[in-house]
Amino acid sequence: MNCEVCQLKELDVEYFEIGEVLRCILHTIFFHRALGLVRPKDVDLELFEITYVQCGDAELEKKVDEKIDQFIDRVEKHPNKKNQICLSFFEVKNKQATWFTHKVEHLYWEQWYINLNVAQHPKPQSGKSHHSKLVLDPGESASDERNARRATLESSLHEVLFQIIKFVNEKKDHIPPIPNMEGVSFPYEITISSSSDSAFGMDMFKRMLQTGQPTMLS
Amino acid sequence: MDFQYNNNHNEHGRNDQIVSQFLLKTLHIVLESRVPYIRPNGRRGNLSLGSQVRKSDKWFNLALGERPTALDSLNFWHRNLMEPMIIDIILVQEMPGLGQNGSGYGALVETVIERWVVQYEYSRASQSHQSSESYKKTYKKSIILLRSLYTMMRLLPAYRAYRKLSSKGKACGFDIVYKVSSFSAPVTRSEEQVMKPYSFIPVEAQHGRLSVSVKYRESLSDFNLETSASLPPEIITDYVGSPATDPFRAFPDHKVATSFPVREIPPPQRPHSWSSGGPFMYNQSPPAHHSSSGRYDLSSSPTSYDVYGQRTQNYRPPTHHSFDDSPPFSPSPPTYLSSGGNYMQSRLRSETAPVSIPNPLITTPRYLSPNLSDPNRHSLPPMSPRSTRYEVSSHESPSVIRSLKKSEMSRIGDLSSASGSGSANHYSPSHKISRDNKDDSGRFSGLLSSSGSPRIGFSRSSSRLSLQDELDDIDFSCPFIVDDVDTCDSPVSQSGIGVKQGKKSQDAAVGALVRMLRTAPPLRQDSSCCSDHVESQSNTSGLFMSRKTSDALEELKAYTGIKHLILSKSKDTKQQHLYSL
Repeated sequence: MNCEVCQLKELDVEYFEIGEVLRCILHTIFFHRALGLVRPKDVDLELFEITYVQCGDAELEKKVDEKIDQFIDRVEKHPNKKNQICLSFFEVKNKQATWFTHKVEHLYWEQWYINLNVAQHPKPQSGKSHHSKLVLDPGESASDERNARRATLESSLHEVLFQIIKFVNEKKDHIPPIPNMEGVSFPYEITISSSSDSAFGMDMFKRMLQTGQPTMLS
Repeated sequence: MDFQYNNNHNEHGRNDQIVSQFLLKTLHIVLESRVPYIRPNGRRGNLSLGSQVRKSDKWFNLALGERPTALDSLNFWHRNLMEPMIIDIILVQEMPGLGQNGSGYGALVETVIERWVVQYEYSRASQSHQSSESYKKTYKKSIILLRSLYTMMRLLPAYRAYRKLSSKGKACGFDIVYKVSSFSAPVTRSEEQVMKPYSFIPVEAQHGRLSVSVKYRESLSDFNLETSASLPPEIITDYVGSPATDPFRAFPDHKVATSFPVREIPPPQRPHSWSSGGPFMYNQSPPAHHSSSGRYDLSSSPTSYDVYGQRTQNYRPPTHHSFDDSPPFSPSPPTYLSSGGNYMQSRLRSETAPVSIPNPLITTPRYLSPNLSDPNRHSLPPMSPRSTRYEVSSHESPSVIRSLKKSEMSRIGDLSSASGSGSANHYSPSHKISRDNKDDSGRFSGLLSSSGSPRIGFSRSSSRLSLQDELDDIDFSCPFIVDDVDTCDSPVSQSGIGVKQGKKSQDAAVGALVRMLRTAPPLRQDSSCCSDHVESQSNTSGLFMSRKTSDALEELKAYTGIKHLILSKSKDTKQQHLYSL
């Protein structure tokens, strides 16, 4: 079974926008991958005029929030870097237990890369961002600039969601059989990496060969 | 050989079931996120995790909550799975300026802001060399498609309008209605240009593919949806109501207004398309509705009528008929026009949950026989000067008294029997009790809604709901888990049983109604057309104080005279025949 990879469009976000943006993207992906019975839950973003859908699983919501907190911590520690969250879905294959270890293999069948470019200053009051790609017009007030940037991000986030929809509809054959479960039906893991890591590429390699933890979540 | 045949048959049945449920689910998803009043309980909420999910809601593993009754009509309407289902989401706004009547009120402008096309594209070419897993794959892929659809509904521009309408109700100055049809009403070129298309990747099915696509307006800024209504809502304190409404009901409040009308009136002329009016009337002040609603009614787009000639009297549109129906639909268009929006309000309200139905002797809706509108009107036929009328009308019947009794009974029969006097109750909402014999149920429901008791009303609605649950269970006898081996029985044979059970509950309700009405004291006085007991009964009822025994005896004499006359005439004609031979 091949592993389908989707690299989502890179987003330029402010520090305080990370949580909302990530929650929106991750839950939208999960909603398309929780193929057991779900009761969809609409959630409105506070910072943007976007409504996304959660699959109504409280456990999942909690885990996603934990991961987002981890990501924000990492961003604080590693500013000036491109940061990436990878959401992977895998199948658990039990290999033959050898005499010294019981091997559990994770076969990844889908990976989503969410690329965020976080503005350098973590303070929300700051209207300027050195890493902002917007051209600063000296005549423009800070609030106008912020609004423009916000509008750009909103439309980019829209595009990312459209991108997710397009991907899930185009590629369906690689999805394994749906187990008889409610809510999130496939085991998954969320990993965080930054561009400066020497293991940035190694992370991907590691995941391919991972024979480690039998737990489904990292 | 047989095994293979059975397998293919089963496969085919499953495929059809998936396709029809897919259409239903799609319609549900589209409407519940565009039309605020589609939800039965009127709320826009999320299902709680603990709530029990009905079996019918488990299809495609997407629990959306209670299905609006509007969707049930699709079962009858969309029997041909090959026909596309086209859902138009229409924005209705009142534009300030002179209306058509020159009344000074604005004209209602409707714009198609979204057009969804859901279709099972049948193609013989894609024959099944596929394995028996094919319908499972189709189901699995459909699950994903519907998830995407659900997500997309919240990303398109029209969702904002829906949210505004949901939260602000009448204050936002516009309304969203929908229209479902099996053909595409043409749009103007300018409209085409502003509509952006989007298509989901089709899902392969056994003999074709399921496709969902949309054309939507990218920007709704032209409609100035952000501003509130130009006309502030008015309350008419001395509103009396139209004759077609129930004057004894309280003025409807906003809460009731926003609930989705459960029972609707079928438009007899449009078999393959129905639309919603929603409680649009609530959004504007009643005077504005007065003319605008009428104009809207008359200026309905002719393209909304179906080209198919099939008559579906059993057709049940989900919503209010006001926008697109031709005048013949309403039995009394002038009444409708004169009352305008408030009429809509009270009519809509009258068709929601069972409420106390007024005493039929005191007030009657227009659609009942006019004889009943005056409780003091004598039950016995009029005096001899009018006897010729009866003679003319009943000369073909063997017995005058029998015919008189029949006509007598027919007047009362509107209330007490389902003898089918044809009391012209097309106006009444036909309830969806069973999947067949809808003519009977339609008339029956008409009787009830006009003059039934609250008890009967409740029992009817509860029987309807229980049957609906039964049908849902039959249709979806097991949760559709993709990788399980399904052993569900064929739904066709079982639905017949459900229908019969529904009929029984109907009959029980009819019987109860008949019993109730027969034992009602005032009516017993009316039904004494056999004059043997007139003497005794005329003394007992206060309503007939003016009636005297002598009057009754005179009338009896008139009857006897007429009878003899007719008998003699028939003898004459017989003799003439004999002579002519």
